[in-house]
Amino acid sequence: MMPTLLLMVRKDLTRKARAPLGLLLVLAFPIMFSAIIGLAFSTSETPRVYLLVENLDGGILGDALLSALGSEQMAQYFQVETVGEDGLERIRRGEGSALLRIPGGFTEDLVKGDPTTLQLIRNPAQGIMPEIAQQLTAVLADVLDSGSRVLRQPLDTLAPLLQKDAPDLDLATFSNITVAVYESLQGAGEFLFPPVIKISSVNLGQDAGLEDESPDTGFNVFQVFLFVFPGVSVYALFMVGDLAMRDILVEGEAGTLQRQIQGPVTPGMVLRAKAAFGASLAMISLLILSVIGGIAASEPVNVPAFLLLSLALVLAVVGTAAAIYGATGNVKRGSVVSSVLYLLLAFAGGSFMDVNALPGALRLVAPFSPFYWGTQGYRRLLEGGVSIADLLPSVAILGTTGMLLLLLGSVSLKRRMSRRGGL
Amino acid sequence: MFQVENLCKSYGEILAVGGISFQVRAGEIFGLLGPNGAGKTTTLSMLSGVLRPDSGRILFEGIDMFVDPIRVKRQLGVVPQEIALYEELSARENLAFWGALHGLKGARLRQAMDHILDRVGLAARSKDPVKNYSGGMKRRLNLALGLVHDPRVVLLDEPTVGIDPQARANILEVIRQVAESGTTVLYTTHYLEEAESLCHRIAIMDQGRILAEGTLDELKRQAGEEEIITIEGSFQVDAIEAGIRQGESLRLLSVEPGRAIISTGGSGEGAVKLLSQLFGTRIPMDRISIRPPSLNSLFLNLTGRELRD
Ligand SMILES: Nc1ncnc2c1ncn2[C@@H]1O[C@H](COP(=O)(O)OP(=O)(O)OP(=O)(O)O)[C@@H](O)[C@H]1O
Ligand SMILES: [Mg+2]
Repeated sequence: MMPTLLLMVRKDLTRKARAPLGLLLVLAFPIMFSAIIGLAFSTSETPRVYLLVENLDGGILGDALLSALGSEQMAQYFQVETVGEDGLERIRRGEGSALLRIPGGFTEDLVKGDPTTLQLIRNPAQGIMPEIAQQLTAVLADVLDSGSRVLRQPLDTLAPLLQKDAPDLDLATFSNITVAVYESLQGAGEFLFPPVIKISSVNLGQDAGLEDESPDTGFNVFQVFLFVFPGVSVYALFMVGDLAMRDILVEGEAGTLQRQIQGPVTPGMVLRAKAAFGASLAMISLLILSVIGGIAASEPVNVPAFLLLSLALVLAVVGTAAAIYGATGNVKRGSVVSSVLYLLLAFAGGSFMDVNALPGALRLVAPFSPFYWGTQGYRRLLEGGVSIADLLPSVAILGTTGMLLLLLGSVSLKRRMSRRGGL
Repeated sequence: MFQVENLCKSYGEILAVGGISFQVRAGEIFGLLGPNGAGKTTTLSMLSGVLRPDSGRILFEGIDMFVDPIRVKRQLGVVPQEIALYEELSARENLAFWGALHGLKGARLRQAMDHILDRVGLAARSKDPVKNYSGGMKRRLNLALGLVHDPRVVLLDEPTVGIDPQARANILEVIRQVAESGTTVLYTTHYLEEAESLCHRIAIMDQGRILAEGTLDELKRQAGEEEIITIEGSFQVDAIEAGIRQGESLRLLSVEPGRAIISTGGSGEGAVKLLSQLFGTRIPMDRISIRPPSLNSLFLNLTGRELRD
């Protein structure tokens, strides 16, 4: 019964349109992320900002911020001079683009998790330069901020050690902190995509080995953007599929699923409709993302190949989510599993960085992640000069795993429904 | 209309419905009356085709529910006990979806929606998102969704739970109107008064079984002339058991420290007999109440428990 299916999909799309926040956040993520990375790692000519810094904080995080601003990577954007009380006066005299004030107690506040404000005093006479200074310090502040949230637990352990009469760091405390840091990182993937780690590790003075990865030939913003964008978009699409398939369990908890089955429809029909809804939502998202990708792309994209790959990816996205929720049978458990699993698969599949930059073992498992095939496929499409045949492995693998997972998920969801008369 | 034969359903160890049979006749309001956990919702889930019974049969006009579920479900309207609505959508959009699911469209759908919105008194707020509705309004929309397609039979699962008297009166009125227009109604409740005032026939259900079934008059007759006497005071169980000579007219229905319930034989003699026995003992009593025969006394007689607990 085709009309019933359409009816259900339309109902779900309307519901999504009424409460679109989750979807918008998921879609904003790849765009923001790629743009920030693009800005941060492109080496095309950006005028340098002459930044005065007044550090009123005596703690290590103030120093870390200062050294981050003065680090080699930041040297592309900033020329930093540490100043004393005369900073404001010098800005007034027009001797710098902006004055950054690190407030007293900055370290203490961050460690405690209290809000703290970095003050940027701009020199209006210098046009765009202070604007750039503000953008860049905002990114840095964000990194520090999310870092302190992610590292809440280790920071708590660390806090007593930062005091003047702190006890010596013994081995037990040290290993405690290490374990805590490790656990925090594990639970906090969102904040810790590689480029962020790079910047923050510079902050903490562990800058070994960073030079190799920093681009030394000129990349423009768009090139970096285009390299990062496909992978993050694939990740975002999996999140979209998750959002949609999760809805069948959300409806199960709300009772509307059972109510539909009480009407003249079968559980199978409800499931098919939800999968169709997931596919529609993923396609709409894909459309939005590909418009943006298309604008940034310099080469013409092979449209039939793009459509084929997208179709296969949508299948994989819906199938994976169906399998996860079929296996867990519960919104909370399912979304925890999927967020962890998607991060792992995205990392292993090279969605967040070049596969060749992955550690050796990970590089071997990468092809087992559907994220790998999606990301590779779109990257190649954007590079241009790709034929459908080139993408067939990606299409075949995504399509068949998608189908299989969808089948698996549907069977277990249907079993749950008939056993409990709902979900 | 509905013929239910020997229906059984367990959830793991728990026997929710243990072999019930009954019939719902065309055009009547049939009440399923029982306390929490009696198995009313489980029964309704099977009647609405979402839950498969472990054994037994459900026939709708001779068609087996689980042989041709879609055909049966087309004729049904179901109002679940738990409110089940799309909170992001308006009342109208909710109704449109459920109406269309049952095959209504165009002008007929609009008419049906206007009609039911008017009936449940939500016409003025029909375009607001449901999440802004009060509890009573959601209850009324919950009811409307089961009625919008003008089904031949509606299954109502405690549709008046947790709302104020006015909204309840509205809902009961709507159900009466629906029944008058020829729709068959199966109504579950744990409110005696609702069953008494609304239903043509009632089945009393407890712990997965039907204990009695019939019209209100038949059930009252079954309750007999017996009065129910409740005594309260600071006494122990054995004092009561020793103090009362049970016999053809006196029966101890339930007894716990401080409270005993006794049923008497008809004609008022039983109460006199009991009281004279009790006054001969030294059982400390604070309160004695005598109730005339009713559905509640029937339930007490059958189960030893009060329906209102
Ligand atoms: N999904 C379930 N899993 C396990 N046990 C259940 C489930 N649903 C109901 N039960 C059990 O089955 C029995 C009957 O429950 P049911 O919900 O049918 O009763 P009810 O008469 O509708 O009660 P209420 O008036 O509280 O709604 C209860 O003992 C209940 O605990
Ligand atoms: Mg119930």
